[in-house]
Amino acid sequence: MIPPRLPPPDRKILPVWDIFATAVVVLLIAFAVNNVITNMSLAGATPGFGFLWQNAGFDVSEALIPYSPENGYYRVIIVGLLNTLLLAVVSLVLATALGLLIGLMAVGPSPIGRIAASGYVEVFRNLPKLLILLILFVTAVNELPHVRSAVGFGGFYLSNRSLYFPTLVFTPQIWGVLASMGGAILLALLMQSRLKQHRIKTGKALPMLGACVPCVLLLPVLGAWVLDVQWVWSLPEFAGFDYKGGLRLSLQFIVIALTLGLYHGAQIGEVIRGGIEAVPSGQGEAAQALGLSRGQALRLIILPQVVRIILPSMSNQYVNLIKNTSVAIAVGYADLMSVAGTIINQSFRPLEMMLITMGMYLVICLSVTMMLNRMNERLRLAQH
Amino acid sequence: MNERLISLRDLAWSAVNTPLSLVLTLLALIVFSQVGWAAGHWLVFQAVWPWQPADLCAIHSGICWPFLTEKLRFILFGTYPYDDHWRPALASFLMCALSVQTGLQMIDRGFRLNALQTLAVWGAVLLLAFVLMAGGVLGLERVDSVRWNGLPILLILSIAAIAMALPLGMFLALARAQSRFRALARMATAYIELTRAVPMLTVLFVGIFVLPLMLPPGVKISPVGATLVALIMFHASYFAEDLRGGLQSLHKGQDEAAKALGLPYWKRVGLILMPQAIQRSLPSLVNTIIGAYKDTSLVVVLGIHDLTATARMSFSDPGWRGYSLEAYFVVGLWFFVSCAFLSVIGRKLHRKAAIG
Repeated sequence: MIPPRLPPPDRKILPVWDIFATAVVVLLIAFAVNNVITNMSLAGATPGFGFLWQNAGFDVSEALIPYSPENGYYRVIIVGLLNTLLLAVVSLVLATALGLLIGLMAVGPSPIGRIAASGYVEVFRNLPKLLILLILFVTAVNELPHVRSAVGFGGFYLSNRSLYFPTLVFTPQIWGVLASMGGAILLALLMQSRLKQHRIKTGKALPMLGACVPCVLLLPVLGAWVLDVQWVWSLPEFAGFDYKGGLRLSLQFIVIALTLGLYHGAQIGEVIRGGIEAVPSGQGEAAQALGLSRGQALRLIILPQVVRIILPSMSNQYVNLIKNTSVAIAVGYADLMSVAGTIINQSFRPLEMMLITMGMYLVICLSVTMMLNRMNERLRLAQH
Repeated sequence: MNERLISLRDLAWSAVNTPLSLVLTLLALIVFSQVGWAAGHWLVFQAVWPWQPADLCAIHSGICWPFLTEKLRFILFGTYPYDDHWRPALASFLMCALSVQTGLQMIDRGFRLNALQTLAVWGAVLLLAFVLMAGGVLGLERVDSVRWNGLPILLILSIAAIAMALPLGMFLALARAQSRFRALARMATAYIELTRAVPMLTVLFVGIFVLPLMLPPGVKISPVGATLVALIMFHASYFAEDLRGGLQSLHKGQDEAAKALGLPYWKRVGLILMPQAIQRSLPSLVNTIIGAYKDTSLVVVLGIHDLTATARMSFSDPGWRGYSLEAYFVVGLWFFVSCAFLSVIGRKLHRKAAIG
């Protein structure tokens, strides 16, 4: 009998492809860098980031931090970055809300609602986002009234240039109210965990919402009353050529946020519909058989599974949405991309500017992906 | 969804029988009536028909057909020499016809061509389209690529970019999926992840502004060429991820059986692994292709006059100001029809994949 033998160890082979690919990449990069240096020196420049401290010399339509054309390029880049982030957050909320509505309508009980949802999805999935943006933009500019005759609605004024809305003037007491609100939420969370322990121990469910909601609502009101807060509103008022006071959002911002909301709302709606339909109907029936109410079944059985199913696609959608804020350049909103474009045209520093811009998008997108991945993993662990 | 025959009456009753259902129905009906009213108003009741005089457009608020009959050729072909419009028209027609044929072939309709024949026909058509557009041979007048506008440039850019990004994506997917050559896998992964985490516009900007700097002094690249390179580099990573999904879904035994038969790597990939991976990732590939096609419209930002740009130019003409919606209507209709066709193919492929 032949004694069993271990299989022969893998032959050590020379990693030809590794060496070849590395060599090609290194050579290509060297070639490109060499050409960049030669080309730039022909134009009388050397690559470097020193230009960031030169005067930008151009104004932007809107900025979240004080900015004037005398500031350096670095500052206008920050302005653009902040505008991109604001746009991303607002459109994200819009798209999620719309997607939720569309997704629920698509699986909802009303057949007419289902038709409306699928019609909406079909239209917005089959049109390029740039076209949607341009159509909305020309329509808004043509159809909305001039600033002089802006449509007003409870302190909101919409014209074909911008939307003005009232803001609260922050006084020290308001911080007190905010603090009491935070305290109330903390208290509610504490109460919730206590109630849960109580339920686990005794098997009796105490009214959770009944205890938490009044607490969260009442405490800030109490705080406001104790501190005797003066509510000061800054209201937009028409003065001369434009409105003064309040806060201003440009029409560009509104139209882009709306476009991204509509475009990604359709896709998120599809994701949510798919997620709900992917939960087997037996789950709901089993919950019913256990005696859970409809609301309980939805909250405790169906929803957690839907969230787990849709989270990977949702994180994809969110990253895509953040990347798509760059279409803002087509209507001249001063986001990161269009600021970078202006700087490239002005300073002729394409390489440096594109490195900065791509780096910033990279950091934003990768951190969002990482955050959502972590959430995904936590939900996965909660499975058993 | 359980398959049950439901009568129309039950269906109508289900629209109103619960409060939630009633609210949703009312909401949908409000939206429908608003959209329907606006569309009817614009498309029918207030429309100025092609046979009516153009002056009426100033009075009526609906669609202005005289503007479209006047400007349609400009929207489609832009500043291409007027007398030679048959060339871009023929080129566009050929590319569309072949795209439809390939789409139908994927769902087992149309002419049945094998992979090699398909590849050959595509090569021939793309070459022919290029010759038709550029001219300079066969007695066709030379036309600079700056004047390739409208529909043909949209089709050329999207089709050529997709056609060349697919093989590149295939190599990237293979490089990332293998574990024998670590450095190669790492580089492919880094490239894919980096390009997927930045907006397409940044890659296009790199193509148009940085790429010319990276070439040796004196070497020029046309904007159309630079854009094409950028599009290929960008879409390749998306295709790579789709294909990698397909490769990873294959059973390990497939590769092992091929190895046991003594097939070398490239034969295993070419005969066993890739064909199956492509088959499995077709639904997501079609989705990526639709996205890539729609996103080609972003080249407007770089000053390339594709369909969206010519539409924009058509209403900046002082005689025809204010007819922006009409021009965008044409573009929207084109994208809607072509994307809807691709979506239908994608959905059929999904169903086919689900059946197995």
